[in-house]
Amino acid sequence: MNINKKQSQNFTLILFVLPAFIFFAAFKLIPAVLGLWYSFTNWNGINPTYKIIGFENFAEIFTGDADFWRAMLFTLKYVGAAIVALNVCALVLAVLIESARKGRSFFRTIFYMPNMISMIIGGYMWNFIFTQVLYYIADNTGLEFLNKSWLGDPKYSFTAIVIVAVWGGAGYLMVIYIAAIQSVPTALIEAAVVDGASAFRRFISITLPMIKQAFTICLFVTLNSAFQVFDVVFSLTGGGPGRLTQVVAINIYEEAFGRSNRLGYATAKSTILFLVIMLITLIQLRVMKKGEEEM
Amino acid sequence: MHLTKKAKTGTVLVTVFLSGASVFCLFPILMALMNSFKTKSEIFTNILALPAHFNFDNYVRSFNKMKYFTSFFNTLAIVVIGILGIVVFSAMAGWILCRTKTRLSSFVFGLFVFSMLIPFNAVMIPLYRVAKILHFSNKIYGMGSIYVGLGVSMAIFMYHGFVKGIPYEIEESAYIDGCSKAQMFFKIVLPLLGPITATISIMNVLWMWNDFLLPLIILATPQKYTLLLSTNMLFGQYTSDWPAILSGLILTVIPVILLYALLQKNILKGVVDGALKG
Repeated sequence: MNINKKQSQNFTLILFVLPAFIFFAAFKLIPAVLGLWYSFTNWNGINPTYKIIGFENFAEIFTGDADFWRAMLFTLKYVGAAIVALNVCALVLAVLIESARKGRSFFRTIFYMPNMISMIIGGYMWNFIFTQVLYYIADNTGLEFLNKSWLGDPKYSFTAIVIVAVWGGAGYLMVIYIAAIQSVPTALIEAAVVDGASAFRRFISITLPMIKQAFTICLFVTLNSAFQVFDVVFSLTGGGPGRLTQVVAINIYEEAFGRSNRLGYATAKSTILFLVIMLITLIQLRVMKKGEEEM
Repeated sequence: MHLTKKAKTGTVLVTVFLSGASVFCLFPILMALMNSFKTKSEIFTNILALPAHFNFDNYVRSFNKMKYFTSFFNTLAIVVIGILGIVVFSAMAGWILCRTKTRLSSFVFGLFVFSMLIPFNAVMIPLYRVAKILHFSNKIYGMGSIYVGLGVSMAIFMYHGFVKGIPYEIEESAYIDGCSKAQMFFKIVLPLLGPITATISIMNVLWMWNDFLLPLIILATPQKYTLLLSTNMLFGQYTSDWPAILSGLILTVIPVILLYALLQKNILKGVVDGALKG
């Protein structure tokens, strides 16, 4: 009786889950497993047959692929800068908006707007700013520091990429921080005001600890998207000049679909990226959990 | 007296800072808009000036070059297919997974949740191959279907969490009245899922509409391009023809800005809810 009931339960379960599961299996699960498999082959997308070559792809990446490691280093640098810049800007905007007397919803609307626009489009708009507008301003106002090859010199294009990433991403984090700040009980703040705590003190001692969860979410989101960054770099520098501003996602894309069509080799690179992201995500979750328990 | 004066300066400073940040936010969009009406030489002589007259030649040029209507409706069709699949299939799965307590159900749910950790980059290249094998590459329905496959796990997770908060008694009494599972789902459960469906729809529409990398590898011919792909093509072909590029960018931005203007409150709420639950 009980077994029959379980069986019929499972039958309905399968019936209701199946449609979602078919698409999920075809376009997420199977590709993920295939990805591991292709990492060990010399599949090149042109030749219909391919063979298993063991760890050769990985050996080649680790010993002879300077471009990939430069891209990895550039990505790590970007991840560090983007996480700090995005979260600091978003938090500052959120706090200031919440403390403003007038125009809260106006400012929130404006700051979120870049988020609606794809970073491809936003990046091309900024491309115009960096390659045309800033030169014009420098020539006509004497603001000489603007007169730089913003997208042509890797020294400056890194800054340019981070600026555009902040422009496009801070609004999203800001609305999360605003929601968190609004959920801080006003009674707590009022009590602190009565006790004579300064605004800065109130922020550090009350607001900041209370929005820890939002902080975890925002770090998680930025970490994941920063490691896979593609659109901003693609529309600003395209990875150039000479692959100097390539991020890992662009390096993989170029390897697979651009110059060599070495899909097996490119898959091995994405497996490495996957492992790096996984590792850092796990570490982050661990650290954050510890931090929340201590509270 | 002294205190109010200090508070006043504070308010002014905050407003000044926020206004400055607003200018920064709008600057690239406004520059693109202003210069999209100018000729090449006008841009060259004064990039910061308002256009001398509204010249729509650039727009006509980029509109035709981008095959704007085709690209727009391609994007729309992909998003509609994707959102219908994600919402209907995930609601079904999320609900039953929450209401069934068997080993199979927790295994399947665990699989969906775990897969959320897999980054897109790790599936991109095999996905290109799977799409080829299924004859899904360079097809609008193919793009829509792939989005369904990539989007369901997150949506199932969110529906699952939402169903947990709906009292089971409602379903129980319908069950006693002789309601079948399918009737129960479509007549009773689905209408209750409204709020979370709105959140999921907003998140996924924005994602699909603004996604670039996936269409870039799946769609190969301009007839099938999405708005972003045609804009990208415009940029590639008219390297230094900024009037054409800028008008193309503005054309691509118009639908999203209109959507934002109309649904701004819902979008902001949906984005926050999505982030907190996801």
